[in-house]
Amino acid sequence: MTDLAAKRDTYVIPHHPLRELLTGSVASIALTFIVVLAVGLIWVGPKFLSFGNISIMGTFLIVPLIVGAFAGFALLSGVVDLSIGSMVGFSSALFATFLTLGWDPWAAAPVTLLACVFFGGINAIAIVGFGAEAIAATLGMLVALRGITWVLLGPQGSIFSFNPGLFTLVNQSVFGLPLFFLLAVVLTLFTSLLVSKSRLGRHIQAVGGDDRAAARAGISVKRVRVVALLLSAFGGGLGGIVFAGQLGSAARATGVGLEFQVYAALMIGGYSILRGGVGNPIGGALGLLAVAGVSNILDLRSISPYYVNIIVGLLLLAAVLLDRFRGGDAYE
Amino acid sequence: MLRRSLRVIAMMMLTLVLAATGFAGTASAQDKFKLGMAVGGNTCCEWMKAQGDVARALAEKNGWDYVELSNNNDPATALKNAQIFVQEGVNAVIQFNGQPSSNPAIAAVLKAANIPVVAYDIADPGMYFVGIDNLAAGIAGGKQLGELIKAKWDCNPDLVISAEGASAGIVNEWRTGGMRTGLKEVCPDIPDAKWVSFESQGDAAVGLPAARDLLAAHPDAKNMAVVGLNDGGVLSLINAAEQLGRADGVIGWGQDGAFITGDNVNPHLAGSVFYFLEGYAVYAVKDVIGPIAAGTVPALKADAGDPASKVQPCPVSAEQAKSVPDMAARVTQLLAAPAGTTEYELFCPNK
Repeated sequence: MTDLAAKRDTYVIPHHPLRELLTGSVASIALTFIVVLAVGLIWVGPKFLSFGNISIMGTFLIVPLIVGAFAGFALLSGVVDLSIGSMVGFSSALFATFLTLGWDPWAAAPVTLLACVFFGGINAIAIVGFGAEAIAATLGMLVALRGITWVLLGPQGSIFSFNPGLFTLVNQSVFGLPLFFLLAVVLTLFTSLLVSKSRLGRHIQAVGGDDRAAARAGISVKRVRVVALLLSAFGGGLGGIVFAGQLGSAARATGVGLEFQVYAALMIGGYSILRGGVGNPIGGALGLLAVAGVSNILDLRSISPYYVNIIVGLLLLAAVLLDRFRGGDAYE
Repeated sequence: MLRRSLRVIAMMMLTLVLAATGFAGTASAQDKFKLGMAVGGNTCCEWMKAQGDVARALAEKNGWDYVELSNNNDPATALKNAQIFVQEGVNAVIQFNGQPSSNPAIAAVLKAANIPVVAYDIADPGMYFVGIDNLAAGIAGGKQLGELIKAKWDCNPDLVISAEGASAGIVNEWRTGGMRTGLKEVCPDIPDAKWVSFESQGDAAVGLPAARDLLAAHPDAKNMAVVGLNDGGVLSLINAAEQLGRADGVIGWGQDGAFITGDNVNPHLAGSVFYFLEGYAVYAVKDVIGPIAAGTVPALKADAGDPASKVQPCPVSAEQAKSVPDMAARVTQLLAAPAGTTEYELFCPNK
């Protein structure tokens, strides 16, 4: 390594309050979120922050929040799980199938979750056991689960499993906001605590940051990554069950593209797809909220939702640039 | 890090609560009739956007407020849109939902708010059905294709291929099955072994791999007749045959007329059945929305067999379709015509 390179790698960004505000792991996305709120208030008006509107955004965010909170564990441990969207689709199809067979939702849910964790286990065996590339292995699982989902849904491509009791439960409101949205927020706060305060969280971050150093420190890298992948699959399963409850059905389109929606928001929120150990569930949730806010503004202004993709793309680019601004690997 | 994060979150939540309590009560009450329109939002088809354009123009002509959202071809988005319609205080909703699995939830949300819904072409028990007479459209198209096959191949094709769209349910059975029925009326002796199907999902791009697989499974078939749920489904087979260099012997007849006008009509698409999808709002406004706005809520007719408003099918050959203006011109002329005039009356060459 040359002197120059060594100097660059050991360069410490000097402390500055403004820089801290812009480059903190959560503060930057919080700033973005506040900008979205301001744009919404100016452009849409007071309606943007009415409880009714927040409730609509919240309802739409329940599944991405749940899936994002759990998928974040895999990212933090240094493996990306591309199968989360398919896992949501598979889970909703399996759960809906059980309901149409007359199962009680409370019995169908744990069995569905077990099935999802089983497929998460296959991901773990491929990636941790056999050293497969996480992107390749989970891409394979994405395709396989999509196929299994299509088989479950049959030629009609959808299963109607509308259960009035479940629908009422999932769509229940507390203090004017959807109960499950509030639960998803609590879950996000809990996972954030888990990441920053628990031994498991610290181990996950350590493994993602530098697996060799973590191993030298006595952390079982394999065990941590297996747990992270199982948690990611569990989150996808949980999201699928909620989806089926919300929609009263499962369809081929369920969960399609969700992995990109969630990962784009997580990256905007401070996670990194290729570098573990970076990010916080609260940042990820704020990323999802910011994207949902943009989408809602366009909805309320009757502007084509296709523009959402352009804005999300720009936000993602901004997040990548911010990542470089804050020093990329050096920041960590 | 967590403490700083929590501080930021707490600050934002406080801002949010203050703003919400300060602003929530200031929305003004509306007294004009307000129509909500959820367009399909599938990038496959220009007519989905045009359905919204026509509905908007008719709402403006009637002096109604209008809110348009896109279902983005996604069931969760369609449900979210229903909730936005409730929030926006619309008096009635029109929707085209290509992902009807969310219809029960949408119907429940809108019913709870006492908002009547018109569903285009895909029936739901809780929604007014406005759409084509699918079985009649299927049989009419099948007969036309049968006449072509009789003249060209003496009713002896190597294959009759059905481009199914199973998720459309009974609509698919009526349209695709109806085409088979119509074709059999002209050519009754085609052996069962020659009738094959693939799942096109009603989309030229999505159905392409399955169409390729079907052609690969029948390497010796040359003369192939194609029927299907819609033009897009039929085109998926034609496109696959072109990719494999086997399109010379393919004759397709579609449904819905989405790809039979304009400058780039595929030469193997011999005809289609115009539904004039972009103009459905004329039927919806005339038979459902207009009466509701006038204070007379019509009886719910949700069954595709007994619809709230029936759209007439218009079978045309590709040659005849040349006399039909393209979609943009049709929309312009439709909106200039007297209220209640349908595109069938204006443009169908086979009335």
